[in-house]
Amino acid sequence: MEFTKIENKRVNEEYYRLEHSSGLTVIVYPKKGFNSVYASIGTKFGSIYSRFTNNGREICVPDGTAHYLEHKLFESEDGDAFSKYAKTGASANAYTSFDMTCYLFSCTDKFRESLEILIDLIQTPYFTKETVAKEQGIIAQEIKMYDDSPDWRVMMNLFKGLYHHHPINIDIAGSVESIAEITPEILYECYNSYYNLHNMVMTVVGGVDPQEVRSIVDEKIRPSEKIDTQVLFPEEPYKVVRSYTEQVLPVAVPMFELGFKEDSGSRYATSRELIATSILMNAFVGESSELYRRLLDAKLVNAAFGHEYLEGLGYRSLIISGESRNPKAAAEMIDEAVRKLHKNGISEAEFENARKVVYGKMVAGFDYKSSLASELMNGEFTGRKLFDGIEAVADITLKDINERLEVQLDADNCCLSVVKGM
Amino acid sequence: MSEFVRKNICDGVAFGSIRDDRFKIGRISATLIVPLSRNTAAANALLSCVLTRSCKKYPDFTALSRKLDSLYGAALYPSVRQTGDYQALTITATGIDDQYALDGNSVSSELAELLCSILFEPNVTDLRFDEEDVEQERRQLIENIDAEYSEKRLYAVKRCIEVMCRDEVFSVGRYGSRQDVEKLTNENIYDAWQTLLKEARVELTMLGNTDPQNAYEGFAGYFGGLPRTVRTVPHIDVHPKEVKRVAETEEVSQSKLVMGFRSARPATDAQALENSLMSAILGATPTSKLFLNVREKKSLCYYCVSRVDNDKGIMLIDSGVETENIEKAEQAIMEQVNSLKNGNITDSELEDAKLAMKNSVMSSLDNLAAMQSFYLTRLMRNDPLSPLEAFKLIDGITKNRIVELAQQIEPDTVYSLVGN
Repeated sequence: MEFTKIENKRVNEEYYRLEHSSGLTVIVYPKKGFNSVYASIGTKFGSIYSRFTNNGREICVPDGTAHYLEHKLFESEDGDAFSKYAKTGASANAYTSFDMTCYLFSCTDKFRESLEILIDLIQTPYFTKETVAKEQGIIAQEIKMYDDSPDWRVMMNLFKGLYHHHPINIDIAGSVESIAEITPEILYECYNSYYNLHNMVMTVVGGVDPQEVRSIVDEKIRPSEKIDTQVLFPEEPYKVVRSYTEQVLPVAVPMFELGFKEDSGSRYATSRELIATSILMNAFVGESSELYRRLLDAKLVNAAFGHEYLEGLGYRSLIISGESRNPKAAAEMIDEAVRKLHKNGISEAEFENARKVVYGKMVAGFDYKSSLASELMNGEFTGRKLFDGIEAVADITLKDINERLEVQLDADNCCLSVVKGM
Repeated sequence: MSEFVRKNICDGVAFGSIRDDRFKIGRISATLIVPLSRNTAAANALLSCVLTRSCKKYPDFTALSRKLDSLYGAALYPSVRQTGDYQALTITATGIDDQYALDGNSVSSELAELLCSILFEPNVTDLRFDEEDVEQERRQLIENIDAEYSEKRLYAVKRCIEVMCRDEVFSVGRYGSRQDVEKLTNENIYDAWQTLLKEARVELTMLGNTDPQNAYEGFAGYFGGLPRTVRTVPHIDVHPKEVKRVAETEEVSQSKLVMGFRSARPATDAQALENSLMSAILGATPTSKLFLNVREKKSLCYYCVSRVDNDKGIMLIDSGVETENIEKAEQAIMEQVNSLKNGNITDSELEDAKLAMKNSVMSSLDNLAAMQSFYLTRLMRNDPLSPLEAFKLIDGITKNRIVELAQQIEPDTVYSLVGN
């Protein structure tokens, strides 16, 4: 198999994609003139993969297992990966999200050696009772750090208020109690199920040649036999759990997240749906929107105001967030505007304005290696292609946006999460 | 990409640019640097917010936002930093490169013009800024200051600095205090604007795929005629007589330990690099002494990190730990600091830290924001280095030099935020 070139004339960009015989999907995105290379390997296995089947056998793991596995994979029998990267100068890291785990490095020298370390890292699990136990203290401190983080709490409380059963309502790192149940056997079980190359993607972005990546992969990677894994989610009702949730933490300015739950169906959103949502939200609550101005004039929000689309398998919600001395009043004003929006839709002028903003943001995105790498990886896991977004911006119509609105921002299906001071 | 080309416009005003065709966005900024002072810090900070809210041409927040939207979602925002005993106010404008504008507009020249208007033609009538703008931005700045209390890792570091430098202007903070902001009048902000234009050191930068000549001439036109006197302050070295200890309680599940030290205050950029390498060996990488010993060996924490402020001459080490482990963590950290002072540095520790630092210097060339920050940081020092010069210099730093610098570390303050 050879690389397939994928290009886009609108933004003069191109990348190369290969389904390697080992099972691994390899994407190389050369950036001419760049000093550094950003490489990552990810598996479609995140915190919400706590119940799954492996060739038909059902497996349940404690909350926080995917994240724990990420920490422990850094260690192998001959030392930890950080100390190996130290010899190449690469800056390495890893993260676990709700739906994937990703291992990465960025380097300006010794690319081959660094990529070999990354490949070794994901191919040499080494979990013993002792090494697993040692991590309990470190991860417990990471969990406690998040317990004190009002940004994190306000978000997790929102997910708990929106979702009855979907595991998106559980902290990525689990709890101090749940991680105490993790054993080497559980880690191996997850590793053998999901760290299978057919379930993994490598992305390499920066000053690099596709053939060089190819030769390293050919040499280092050990092929995987394809296995069938299915993630299992409980049935999730359309309705939110509750319309209001609050937590008291030592903060001086209360924070809020207002989430609108949608029907998520059984597939990922398409690029076109994401673009339509983004244009809709920019028009509705963007910097120049009427609503943002009214919230500011009423002293209900400040510059820490924004919106995001939470979207994955089995969950879709639009979230508007901010800091407010009076979150309930802010939410009421937003609620009223949502109802009006459903009546009137967005105007042609608002649409054209927001479309320009979204286009500009997408063009800017091509400058950042790390965001390109994660877009590409995410795209492989969700079936979305990188350039579909920029093409959708070009030909999307106001009608598309208003159609999208019909299934979004249901004012009768939202939850307000607040973190306020003592 | 081109070299960083820096030209003087007039007394204390310089324009630096890099022409670089690798990027799809461009970045223009104006940084105004003045001595930090209790009397002016809050006014300067609020001014930078008011300036980016509106101007004569776009006289209200929504009109200015619409203008930015029409430039394909260009951004315009203030940021306020403390750099040693100076306050640095930066206004940055970013936008897509002209070749991607669908209507043939020149985003870059519009943004350069807009930045000039923001600085020189604000929304002022009869020597007063728009009252509503001032009140809106005052409220938001106060909320911003209050919010510093919310993120406890940052809050603990801020408190440590306040305790450590309580008798120094450094403790004023980048925004001044909440009370200072509350008391400001419209006249104070107008005065701050006038004073900054005449007395601040001004560093203008333009990075991206645009010929900087037009922007240079635009800025030169505005600044050229101004009578200017740039103010500077002498640095005062501080040597602690005894270690200050402050513990405060808070409703948190994880306690924070922040240790403040006095460290070398390098005169040149090259010396600052050496000092940063010293800190990298101690606690700024995943193979540093603090990470390997306090986190990995003793499992005491998730993070334990050191960083030096070369412009102030201080070093901070911060960590999040269990309340019952605060003392243990302090001991473990001091063991590592002393080990460094005693010269216990292996060749591999030195080489690993050098590689990590070289990687970080060279990586900054791939990102415009990092480039801007690289050059602005260096311009505050004597004999600023280019990234390539910095890269070469790192190789030659000796273990003896690291030990010399480590020996200048003096414990000053131990601050803990103790969970109940």
